[in-house]
Parts: sequence; structure tokens; C-alpha cells
Amino acid sequence: MASTETQGILVVGGGMTGITAALEAAEAGYDTYIVEKNPYLGGRVAQLHHYFPKLCPPLCGLEINFRRVRQNPRVRFFTMAEVENISGEEGNFDVTIRLNPRYVNEKCTACGKCAEACNIEIENPFNYGMNQMKAAYLPHDMAYPPRYVLDASLVESDEAQKVKEACPYDAIDLEMAPKTMNLKVGAIVYATGWKPYDASKLEAYGFEQYPDVITNVMMERMASFSGPTQGKILRPSNNEAPKHVAFVQCAGSRDENHLPYCSGVCCLASMKQATYVRDQYPDAKITIFFIDIRATDRLENFYLNVKKDENIEFFKGKVAQINPDEAGEGLILKVEDTTKESLHEIPADLVVLATGMQPNTLDNPVPAQVAYDDYGFISTLDVTPGIYGAGCSRVPTNVSECVQDGTAAALKAIQSIARR
Amino acid sequence: MSVRVDPSLMKELEEFGLKDANKCFHCGNCTAICPLSTPENPFPRKLMKYAQMGLRDKILSSPEPWLCYYCGDCSDNCPRGADPGEAMMVMRRYLTSLYDWTGFSRKFYTSEKFEIIAITIVGLLVGLAMWLFHGENPDMAHARLNTVWPAGAIEIADLIMAAVLTFFLLTNTWRCFSFTMGDLKAKVPLGLYVTQAKEFVVHFLTQRKFGECTDRMQWFVHLSIMTGYVTMMFLVIVLLAGGLEIIGLAWEPIAFQRDVIYPLWHPVRLLGYYATAALLYGTTYALIGRIKKTKAPYKNSHSTDWMFLILLQLTVLTGIFIHFARLLNWPMTTYVLNVVHLMIAVPMLVLEVPFAKWAHMMYRPVVLYATSVKEKYLEQQR
Repeated sequence: MASTETQGILVVGGGMTGITAALEAAEAGYDTYIVEKNPYLGGRVAQLHHYFPKLCPPLCGLEINFRRVRQNPRVRFFTMAEVENISGEEGNFDVTIRLNPRYVNEKCTACGKCAEACNIEIENPFNYGMNQMKAAYLPHDMAYPPRYVLDASLVESDEAQKVKEACPYDAIDLEMAPKTMNLKVGAIVYATGWKPYDASKLEAYGFEQYPDVITNVMMERMASFSGPTQGKILRPSNNEAPKHVAFVQCAGSRDENHLPYCSGVCCLASMKQATYVRDQYPDAKITIFFIDIRATDRLENFYLNVKKDENIEFFKGKVAQINPDEAGEGLILKVEDTTKESLHEIPADLVVLATGMQPNTLDNPVPAQVAYDDYGFISTLDVTPGIYGAGCSRVPTNVSECVQDGTAAALKAIQSIARR
Repeated sequence: MSVRVDPSLMKELEEFGLKDANKCFHCGNCTAICPLSTPENPFPRKLMKYAQMGLRDKILSSPEPWLCYYCGDCSDNCPRGADPGEAMMVMRRYLTSLYDWTGFSRKFYTSEKFEIIAITIVGLLVGLAMWLFHGENPDMAHARLNTVWPAGAIEIADLIMAAVLTFFLLTNTWRCFSFTMGDLKAKVPLGLYVTQAKEFVVHFLTQRKFGECTDRMQWFVHLSIMTGYVTMMFLVIVLLAGGLEIIGLAWEPIAFQRDVIYPLWHPVRLLGYYATAALLYGTTYALIGRIKKTKAPYKNSHSTDWMFLILLQLTVLTGIFIHFARLLNWPMTTYVLNVVHLMIAVPMLVLEVPFAKWAHMMYRPVVLYATSVKEKYLEQQR
């Protein structure tokens, strides 16, 4: 017989998929627990400037979901938390969760006085390291929960006391230590999402060697008002406006030497980003280098619309090399136009690498017996009863599919509990 | 202009060693990463397309297979494992068989059995001839080869062999030249052919283009094998038959393979040592590479690649043994080794030079020459 204790559902990952799964299950009457590694909910979606194909910011969608979380007592979430261990079986899992110290308690009002008092700067991971931020920080403007975080480097420094004293609400607790917590749940949804493929492995593209070679996720941050350039798309080498932006599709994707699969979103993402450039710089030239444009179902229309823009050129050919030009100012892309069998060297002053998605479970696997597919995603064919991969843990995909997948995973989790 | 499509071309190319070309999805990465590919002659993807589409005639007139020196950059960076570098190698085998009007080359490349039997037969014939035709009074007290096989007789045999070999090689090379030039062959003025002739010489001697590849080691190994073999051919064909007693051109002091032992500093001896060292180094490097599959060009080995390297290395090794047997003055050992040496070296020479891998010593520089003539001509027309 099922006990009330094992009616709960654990959702690992508080991104779009995880939030959706937790909310859908909670709204169907189940207690759910979201475990999120970051200090905020929203995952990669929070880092996006716009969605495709509607070209609207994802923050309103996130806001709606955060409100649903706030209003539903059945949903509990833990940020800066990681699942350390899962034991037991379907209907009766014992889960150990590690809660990392935030050094800031719930008294925080996000007033920002701690950051003002802090002089130590660290790399901003939310902006993919494109800028520095204070070691006492709010992860981003719309962070939920809206609560500051103190970096360990600050807590260990001489400045810690000064920062603590700057807080008018006594919200800083320098003694906070990692804690573990045990949970009993009936089913688990695993939705820890994805990471961009490491562009520095693409030797011929010179990422990290040439500052004007960036990745698509960096472009999202640059276009975002809360990003490192306050929404201005600029060439990192000189902070000037780009005149010719190149998008390199399949940067490491559909490539045996890197990711053998297609992530299915990078074509759309690049076309979307082309519209960012277009909006900011009406005269800029944009070239999208592709092997095949993958835009399925209604997204085909988005492709056709972008294609109408005469400043956006679609160039069929995989870029083989990116080198600096002779003056050392711009970049030259070596590529064959495969429709004409002609070899080209095309100049650009900002290059965006459309890198694909890799499951985060590669670095942090599910701490339980779970099967993965050939590419490292949680297997859909060979499922461990009671543990369901969802969203980009299961398949590389876009936000709207993630939402659907989160809902589907909630149903699977509910079925798993209900049939006992 | 009509284009003939042969749907069975891929199958035919598979007989020449093609394996993965059907995996190509035409991204163009190979062509853009190749250091030798140019806007005028972009490759290798073009040839992958010809293969997939069954465009035999296009392949026949393509200079690109000979513009490729197989550094392997394209294969290393191919996102699909379609191995364009190996496809180019297959194209060179295929073209060699198309250039050869006798049909021998095709059999040699497409049937391992035929290859082995052909080499064995020629080897046995050489052995038989050496056994049947030898001098009246072989010197069994001293290792003196000329007492068993008099220099004059060897020179005649040598000349006959050279004539046959040259006939086939040159007729095949002429076809190679004609296919590559196409309609332009008659249109290009003679003067242009003459002024561009230096291209042939430069490419033949230096394989300059190979040096533009990223992996320059392959160029060095290739140059070692090539210069070693050409030095050997020079010794055997020019200096051996160069003692041309028959037409009174003998210049004894530098004749090759006479019973006198030349002093260490003697040019003939030095040339022999150079050739031996270069060939031994080159073939050993390539054999180890092919066994261990150290880099892209060594990953796929056709039976003719093995045969080529093994025969070449055995020729060198038996040559070294003969040299020491002579110096040690062991007559019988020297004579037996000499028979074995020639049973290996001669098949290599008469079969590989006009019909197989060695033929590229003509085809490659000829095509590079033809391509430069063509480019110059088209430039003048513009």
C-alpha cells in the first residue's frame, strides 16, 4: 500500500521543464519538491533575450510560473541545492539533498547594500563570463527568489565582516554551512537541462583566441537589457558596432568529431539572433552559414520570413576555418559555397558560433541506475521505473517543447504513484 | 553538352577501395580546410559529388585527384567520417586504370589474386631467365657477378626492359595528358606548352605543392622514397646501361654494378648509399604508419599499397645483403641473393611503373603541368 509519505514527487532542475512538471503535478494535487543547483529558478530560459518564433522576452512567461509557484503550497523549492543520492525504488525513493550555503537568509529584501559594500569582483556566470560582478550579488535583475548571494571567496575574505555590517536587515549569515536533507518521494522527474557545447574544442574557429568570435548563448546575453552591454550588440574586441555579422551553424553539431547529432534549435536561434542585429543595426549585413536549415512544422514560416530580409544572406556551406584578416581587425571565414562549388574567403567583424546542446547529466549524472542514449541523454526507451527524464535531459529541444515535456513528465510521475 | 550518368559508378569505385564516400552530406568542410584547394580547382568535395552522381567523364577529366597529396586534413575534419582523403586516393587508382589502355592496371587494382599472380609470374620468369642464361665460367672463388651475368648481356636485357616499360608508361601518360587537357589540347599554342614545361620539371623533382600541406612530414617521407627510387633508376638504367658498350658510350669509371669495388667516396657508391638509406627510411616509416594507422593517409591500406611498400623494402634489403656478400667475398651467397633481388626488383619496376602506383611519378607532374598550361591559356583568353 502506498503511504502518504511516498506520494510526493521530486523534480530535479528548476528550469522551464522542471517548473512546469512540478506545477502541473502540484495543481493535480501532488506534493512536489524542486531541487535547483543555481541560486535562482528559470535556468537557461532566464538567460534568453527573446523566444522564437514570437520574438518576445521569456520573462513574462517565467513571471507567470513564479506566481503559480508562490501561490501553490504544494510546491516547495530549494535553490543552491543538489541531489547527492537516490536509493529505493519506484513509489519509495529515499533522496539525499545537499543545500549549499547562500550566506544570505530570508530577511533579504534585495536592497543591494551588501553589493555596495563589497569590492571583490568575480566572473559573472549568468553572462557566460563576459563581465565581472560583485561577489555579493543578485544573480540577475529578475531573479526568483529575489535574494542576494555571497560568493565563497567573499565570505573567506577580510571584507566579509564589512559586508555583513552593511546589511540593514541582518540578512547575512557568514556562519552558514552546507547541509544535507533527506526526502522520501514516490517518483522523480529529472530535468537538469543542458549546457552549450564547449566552443574552445572547435580549434579551427579560434574561440577564446579571437574576441570577436562568440557563441550563440553569449549573443543572447549581449542582446539582453540585463546583459553585459545593456542590450547593445557590440564587437568584444573594441566595443564598436558590427557591420557584418556571421552566424556559423553546426559549430560542432552533426559532427562525428564533436556532437554527432543535431540539437534542432540552433538554426532557429541564429535566425532569431539575426533579427536582434537587424533591429539594432538596419544597415548591418548578416550571413548565416549552414549545412541544412532545420526548421520544422510552423517554424518553417519563421524561416521564410527571415529569408525575405535582403540584409540576411543564407550561405550553404560549413565554415571550415576562421582566421584574422591581414590588418588584424576583422575575421575571415573560409568556406565553400556548395551550391556553386566555389571556394570563398568571407570577411566578418563579429562571428557567432551556433553551438549545440549537451545534457548536464554528462557532468552530473543521475545518482541512481538510469540508462542513457548514445548521445548521453536520459533514455526514453529504457526507463528506470519511477525516474523520468524530461526536457533537455531527455532530448535537445526548444522551450515550448520543454513545457510540453514537463507536463508529460508530470503525468508519468503521477501514473507511477497512482498505479501502486 | 550532355552529361552521362552511371548509377553503378560507386560500385565500380568500391573495387578500387572506396568505402565511406556515400556518407558525405556535402557540407564543404573538406574543400575549405584543404590547404591546396584553390578557387580555380576546389576539391575534394567535388570528386565526392562526381562519385555519388556517377559522373565518370567528369572524373576522367579532373586534375584534382593529382593536385591532392593526401595530408589527411580533410578526413580528420570530416564531420561524417566520409574520408574524402581516401576517396581522392581511390580516384588516383581509378584514373591510373582509366589512363591505361591495356586494361592491365584495372585488373591489377581490382583483383588481389591477379596482382599477386602477376608479380609472381614476372618474378619467376626473371629467376628462370637468370638461371638459364648465365656465363660459362662463374667465378666460384671470388664474388664477381659479371662472371655469372656478363655486363653486356645484362645491359641488353636492361635496355629491352626499359624500352617496353617506357612505351607503356608514355602511351598511358599521353592519354592522361589528353583527358586532362580535353578540348583545349589542340587550341593551346605550342609556345605555351614550351614555356610552361618548367612546371613539369619542378613538380617532378620537388613535389613543391606537398610542402604546402599542414603535415610536412609526409612530404619529407615522400621525397625520400621518390628521390631514393629515382636515384636507383638512374643507377640501373643510365649508369648500368650507361656503360653502353654496344653503341660505344662506355665510361667504365662510373659504371654501376661492375666487379670492381669502388672506393668509399666514389660517386656511384655514394649514390647507392643515399638511395638505400632514403628508401629504407621512407618505406619503414610508411610501413609502420600503415600497420599502426598513425594518421589519416595511413588508415586505409589497399592491397596495392602494401605490395608497393613491401616490394620496395625487400628490394632495398636484398640489395644491402648483396652489397655485404660482395664485400665479404662470398660468391655463392652473392649470386643467389642477386637472383632473389632481381626477382623482386624487376616485377616492381615493370608492373608498378607503367601500370600501378609508380606511374604517378609521371601522371602527377604531367597533370600539374597541363593544369598550369590551361590556367595560363584561359588567363590569356580573358
